Amino acid sequence: MRTFINFCQKKRLFILLLVTVLAALYISPLLWMLNTSLRPTWDIYRYPPTILPRKVTLENYIYVLTQMSGFGRYFLNSVVVTFSTVVLVLIASAMGGYAFGVRRFRGQNLLFTGVILVLTIPYIMYLIPIYMMEDKLGLQNNWLGLILPYVALNLPWGLLIMRGAFSTIPLDIRDAAIIDGCNEFQLWFRVMLPITKPALAATTIITFVFAWQEYMFASTLMTKNQWQTLPVGIVWLRDELQTLVYGRIGAMVVLTIVPVFILFLAFRNFFIKGLSEGMLKG
Amino acid sequence: MRRPGGGRQLAPAALSFSGREAVISQRKKRYIRDRVNLFVFLLPTIFFVFVFIAFPIGYSAYLSLTEYNYARDAAPKFIGLRGYLYTLFQDVFFHDALLNQVKFAIPYFIATFAVSLGLAILINELVFGTRFFQVLFYLPMIIPLSLVGIIFAWVLAPDIGIFDHILRWMGIKNWNIDWFGNPYTAIYCLALARSWKMIGFTLIIFLAGLQAIPKELREAAKVDGANFLQEIFQVVLPNLKPYLLIGGIWILINSIKTFELPAVVTEGGPGTSTLTLYLYSWKLAFERLDMGRASQVAYITAAIILVLSWVLNRIFRPETARRA
Repeated sequence: MRTFINFCQKKRLFILLLVTVLAALYISPLLWMLNTSLRPTWDIYRYPPTILPRKVTLENYIYVLTQMSGFGRYFLNSVVVTFSTVVLVLIASAMGGYAFGVRRFRGQNLLFTGVILVLTIPYIMYLIPIYMMEDKLGLQNNWLGLILPYVALNLPWGLLIMRGAFSTIPLDIRDAAIIDGCNEFQLWFRVMLPITKPALAATTIITFVFAWQEYMFASTLMTKNQWQTLPVGIVWLRDELQTLVYGRIGAMVVLTIVPVFILFLAFRNFFIKGLSEGMLKG
Repeated sequence: MRRPGGGRQLAPAALSFSGREAVISQRKKRYIRDRVNLFVFLLPTIFFVFVFIAFPIGYSAYLSLTEYNYARDAAPKFIGLRGYLYTLFQDVFFHDALLNQVKFAIPYFIATFAVSLGLAILINELVFGTRFFQVLFYLPMIIPLSLVGIIFAWVLAPDIGIFDHILRWMGIKNWNIDWFGNPYTAIYCLALARSWKMIGFTLIIFLAGLQAIPKELREAAKVDGANFLQEIFQVVLPNLKPYLLIGGIWILINSIKTFELPAVVTEGGPGTSTLTLYLYSWKLAFERLDMGRASQVAYITAAIILVLSWVLNRIFRPETARRA
């Protein structure tokens, strides 16, 4: 028995070690970028390269934050676009999720299947007509021109999650609220919406992560530098900088990841639950 | 004088008649209000889905049947299916893109599937630190793909890149390869960079599957004297099958939606060695402004994805339906 326990512990220790090594290997590209961002330029390009920095400095971060006005502008664009997208998706999917989850109406399943099918269709197919449409309407180079398509692309996930949440609410609550004299909007907003808070959180984090990352629509619809979001703007800056200054690029990459990482840590469980629900159903 | 009996009967009947009318009109009002409410609830969904999804799908279907240079032509010129025939059978770039897609999918599938399955099994065995490692492996999911491209371009850079340096340090002297600048390696490196980000997603699916396996099953296997590997192969994997299928389908379909990495890191090159279907369609549309041909490529890509997911779901339906 004792040897058995011993064996089990050895196995566990071995697995722990193995996972630690794999995790270190897995995360190493990111760590290398972080490492690069903390070095002065002369250290980054000195041959032969060393794993550990010869001098640790924050000068790249200070340069990016104080000297590069482009980065601040990109950051602002990303924040505005992402927050507006999240708010609009929350409103639209909370309303639509209620209609699909609580109400019954003709054509319901057809409409919902259509919405979900959107998830599998390649985004490039929407991009071409949306580009032409925004060109005609003058929505290009404008926050709204990015927010509206982002909402449309995220709505299916939001609806999937919110419908699931609404459909699990027992109908007794609805009846009780109606007897108490609630009208339907009060029922939705005051009674049901508070119950679906976890689903709202999942929708928030998934939408945030998507909008913060999106590249294809942003790089196509925003043709002027000042309207770019972070994922596109950093690539532009990389192409623009005559000499490769990877320390500064590294600093920008880290600064881009930090906000979404904090949010991810805070909403981790909702993120995972929302994603797995969507992926297993979709 | 007594009123005729019929009169007495008539009075309550008339009353109930007008009452019923009131009930009916009330019911009608309530019905209309009900419909209006429903419509209001659906309004945002309908607006976004129709303007930004249904209309684009329809319009690009029409565009794919036309010849339309956005800069030059005033209006699309209808040419029917001729454009599709040209793209499918004569367009060498399209054929390159298809071939690249296959080259991309194979290492991408193997790496993502194997690594995330292995990690899921190992993480599931951990007694503590599960949360920490989960967060660590999910981390790349939140990094924008274009920045993943920048990170990997830096790690795999020729001469000054750390990866080549480690190879040299390990004694592999003549392997100073420009990983993304070499037409033979570029697409595979992109596939591995993409799978770095995708592993978190499949890990979620596989961990969900592993946690759904009843503990008693594995205990029983242990009691029967199975060692760890036997337990994994004979108890865990068969029970995980629906989740493995879902994960596999996601990886395959995801491999077709590859745009950011080739666009940022290699721009489709060298030559056409990293030209993917998405990137080709995008280049046709926004570099050559040839909206007709771009829509054809986009529609063919969509058809490939839909057929693939339909066929895979069809084949594996009994297994995937059993999940959860």
